[in-house]
Amino acid sequence: MKGVIFSIKRYSVHDGPGIRVTFFLKGCPLSCLWCHNPEGISPEIIKTDRKDRIGEMEFSEIEDVGHKYSVQDLITIVEKERVFIERSEGGVTFSGGEPSMQLDFLSEALKAIKNIGIHTAVDTCGYTTGENLLKIFPCTDLFLFDLKHMDPQMHLKYTGVSNELILENYRLVAESGKDFMVRIPVIPGYNDDDENIYKLREMIIKINHKNLKKISLLPFHKIGSSKYKRFNMKYSMESIVPPSNERMMELKEFYMKTDIKVKIGG
Amino acid sequence: MNERVRKLREQSLNAVETITAERALLITRFYKSDEARELSAPVKRAKAFEYILKNKEICINDGELIVGERGPAPKITPTYPEICLHTTDDLDILNSREKVFFRVSEDVKRVYEEEIIPFWKGKSNRDKIMGLMTPEWLNAYRAGVFTEFQEQRAPGHTVLGYRMFNTGFLELKNEIKGILAGLDFFSDTAAFEKQEELKAMMIACDAIIMYAERHAELLEKMASEEKDGKRCTELRRMAVVCRKVPANRPETIHEMLQHYWFIHLGVVTELNPWDSFNPGRLDQHLYPVYKKEISEGKITLEEVYELLGCFWVKFNNHPSPPKMGVTAQESNTFTDFCLINIGGVRPDGTDAVNEMSYILLEVIKDMRILQPSSMVQISKKSPDLFIHKALDIIKTGFGQPSCFNTDAIVQELLRQGKSLVDARNGGCSGCVETGAFGTECYWLSGYFNLPKVLELTLFNGFDRRTNQQVGLKTGNAKDFFSFEDLIISFRKQLNFLIDIKIRGNNVIEKTFATWLPVPFLSLLVEDCITNGKDYNCGGARYNSTYIQGVGLGSVTDMLTAIRYHVYDQNNYSWNEIVNAIEADFTGFEKIQHDLVYNTPKYGNDDDYADQQAVDVFEIFYDAVNGRPTSRGGVHRINMLPTTSHVYFGSVIGATPDGRKAHMPLSEGISPFQGVDKQGPTSVIKSASKIDHLRTGGTLLNQKFSPQFFEDEDSFKNLTALIRSYFSLDGHHIQFNVVNAETLKEAQKHPERYRDLIVRVAGYSDYFNDLGEDLQNEIIRRTEHEDV
Repeated sequence: MKGVIFSIKRYSVHDGPGIRVTFFLKGCPLSCLWCHNPEGISPEIIKTDRKDRIGEMEFSEIEDVGHKYSVQDLITIVEKERVFIERSEGGVTFSGGEPSMQLDFLSEALKAIKNIGIHTAVDTCGYTTGENLLKIFPCTDLFLFDLKHMDPQMHLKYTGVSNELILENYRLVAESGKDFMVRIPVIPGYNDDDENIYKLREMIIKINHKNLKKISLLPFHKIGSSKYKRFNMKYSMESIVPPSNERMMELKEFYMKTDIKVKIGG
Repeated sequence: MNERVRKLREQSLNAVETITAERALLITRFYKSDEARELSAPVKRAKAFEYILKNKEICINDGELIVGERGPAPKITPTYPEICLHTTDDLDILNSREKVFFRVSEDVKRVYEEEIIPFWKGKSNRDKIMGLMTPEWLNAYRAGVFTEFQEQRAPGHTVLGYRMFNTGFLELKNEIKGILAGLDFFSDTAAFEKQEELKAMMIACDAIIMYAERHAELLEKMASEEKDGKRCTELRRMAVVCRKVPANRPETIHEMLQHYWFIHLGVVTELNPWDSFNPGRLDQHLYPVYKKEISEGKITLEEVYELLGCFWVKFNNHPSPPKMGVTAQESNTFTDFCLINIGGVRPDGTDAVNEMSYILLEVIKDMRILQPSSMVQISKKSPDLFIHKALDIIKTGFGQPSCFNTDAIVQELLRQGKSLVDARNGGCSGCVETGAFGTECYWLSGYFNLPKVLELTLFNGFDRRTNQQVGLKTGNAKDFFSFEDLIISFRKQLNFLIDIKIRGNNVIEKTFATWLPVPFLSLLVEDCITNGKDYNCGGARYNSTYIQGVGLGSVTDMLTAIRYHVYDQNNYSWNEIVNAIEADFTGFEKIQHDLVYNTPKYGNDDDYADQQAVDVFEIFYDAVNGRPTSRGGVHRINMLPTTSHVYFGSVIGATPDGRKAHMPLSEGISPFQGVDKQGPTSVIKSASKIDHLRTGGTLLNQKFSPQFFEDEDSFKNLTALIRSYFSLDGHHIQFNVVNAETLKEAQKHPERYRDLIVRVAGYSDYFNDLGEDLQNEIIRRTEHEDV
């Protein structure tokens, strides 16, 4: 069996503890307006123009976005990084897209990586069935759970789906006894209003958070904006200004009122 | 830093590098004098040393606590006509060149014209060397196959060891007397030479003591005229220190630092050795006296910091002596490479990190000054805290301290036959050069242009730039039927050119042994006294001569491109590649594009590409390692470039890795600029495929944005990264934390910065891959952080 992966990051230090390899699996059920990996949304392998410069001349080559990998291919890559993973108590993270979109591949890969003694993490948007989550529980050491908005209507408007299923799955993960971290993108004008921030915090506190290792507040950035152009996609966030350091500190303070570790960034 | 140190630091930063003719004049007058005639070489050199120290101007700067300048004032730099005679044209160039200039006054030029040049013309050691080299050597040198370290400077890289931090020169005199008395004129055929050398050493002992006393006298005189009572007391106390050391063993921190500094001045006055001189394992030497003084309440921590600040400024007052021509190109900097070692292991193998290690790190952070340079020795026993403290300075982006692997250093030295204790007392000097401190004489003989060897191999040994047959006639590129054929010819060319270099080395070593012994330096390195033999004649306990390989990443990519496109994939014929190279890719941009972008490259943990690095390394190692030197030592390799990769690139045409003619080569064992696309772990994996333990040092440079250093987690990950590299026997890694300027350059020339990774708030990516707006945003943020 093979999975479709659109990016592999080594020395990945913001997707879970230690030095990690992060595999970005292609395909996502959400289409957040601020998505910084828009090329990861469609599950298919797509073609793009790669442009390189030689002096003043530009060369363009058609290149695939997304490649097929077997589980063994992933193991080979992870073994190359073993020395760093072991020394840093790091591991492997599956991100995306939404990794559970390729459930069979994901669970097989997780199993194989656990088998070679390496810590595993899954970064999920939570939009999947509980059944699917249960299937990957045994071989996942850590969940990175993304939360965006508490209002179902707003969630639908900004991400293309409502949040009921996500919140249900959040509870499932939080109460499973598995370690998990929460990741909240801070998008000015979209989800950074006091009400949403308050509701998110209340929800997190109310549900069992014994195993919640950290809340990461991820300030909005336009890293993906040039990609939208490259992939002929519409980008609606051009005019949004990233949150100021002061605002991020304010939010951090707000979350710090809980007993949970909070960090700006991954 | 307190007000005193701040002022001294300011003074040092503001002083302008200027040439003085003082030393040149004194050495010329001595060589002309009757006294200098009919003396053996060591005695003549010792007397010259004494003459200079007796007659040179003594400088004591306002407010300083550690005294002594090589010239009449900070940054006033002497010349060494017996090594390398500057012409008046040379002096004009030094005065007018844009970078690394030295001001030269009309007076200095006149003195040169009237006294210095007439006496030394044709007689400097540089003239001797160039006269003694074979036509093959001169051809290869002019073609840029190698450089010659001893052409304008004396052999150096030497580091003071434990013994001399704990011994005064009066004690050395006693020791010399004993050896002299025991000379066996009945059966030791070298007894006479030993006697001359030991007599010279005795003169050098007296000279340095006299030099310290001249400082004491001036300090006392100044004290008697000083109106400020506090300064008056200081001056008297400093005079007492100068009367005590270096004649006697130092017993306080102040005495230790002043003791070392007089020794340092002695070494850089006797000749102009590479990398000046070096106190080496300074935290180890200072710690026992520091502990004692602090516990007895004789000194406060503030006073310790103040003394160290004064000491630090001294190094910065001493730019590297003027370099010209190729020597200037291979080492284009004012830095004189004194590299202070912090941490490591003790002689018994236990962790050496102590309170003084942390104090010195604080001093480095606080002083933030070009010289001295500094490094941390990290062993598997070093605490993480030690690494974190170093990272805390590294993240400020001024390139210090660099990180070294003590366990690798010890194994490198053991492999070379050093005793375990001597190995543990060792470290690195210069850039990354391994040595047994206080017991080894290790010369660096010159950089060796590995990619140039490949260029010659492709053109039948003919150098297109100088129009000379430089290498062997091993056939043209298209004659190589297989990649193995190419490698066989490359090996033949390399062996031939290394033989030329080694023959030259063995002659040049003898010029120093014959005309330029260094009796003062010989006092400092163990076994020279007991052997009655000069440092430059093989008197030290261990003797090594290095040839420094340059351009490993480049030559690897060149070979890989050939293997991949010509032999394995058959994408291009040899004719196409050679035509493209000869045209510097003009009209062949498609080929260049494939060579640059569609070829496996070193630095990505790709065995296909990295195999060529291992092959070249082994060929270079086989050619050099173990070859005897004429002073009884052994030739070895290391892999570092200083700035020679720029010069070496300038003498090579376009190359099969897609590099345009005359562009710089890769540096150290780092990948060629911008071709490593998988991040730092892959670079480390590629770099550790060569066997570092069989070298005397390798250099790996890694660029990071400051955002990778932002919090405790990132420090932990960087620590793990360093420890991983070191567990793979990596010798050295330095982190180049990029600033806004670099980012702006990267924006203008993205092709040169393809490997630059930046952190974007919880996220990281290649800088080139970011849209322009975001790049600007990061530049702005970095500018902010730079402040």
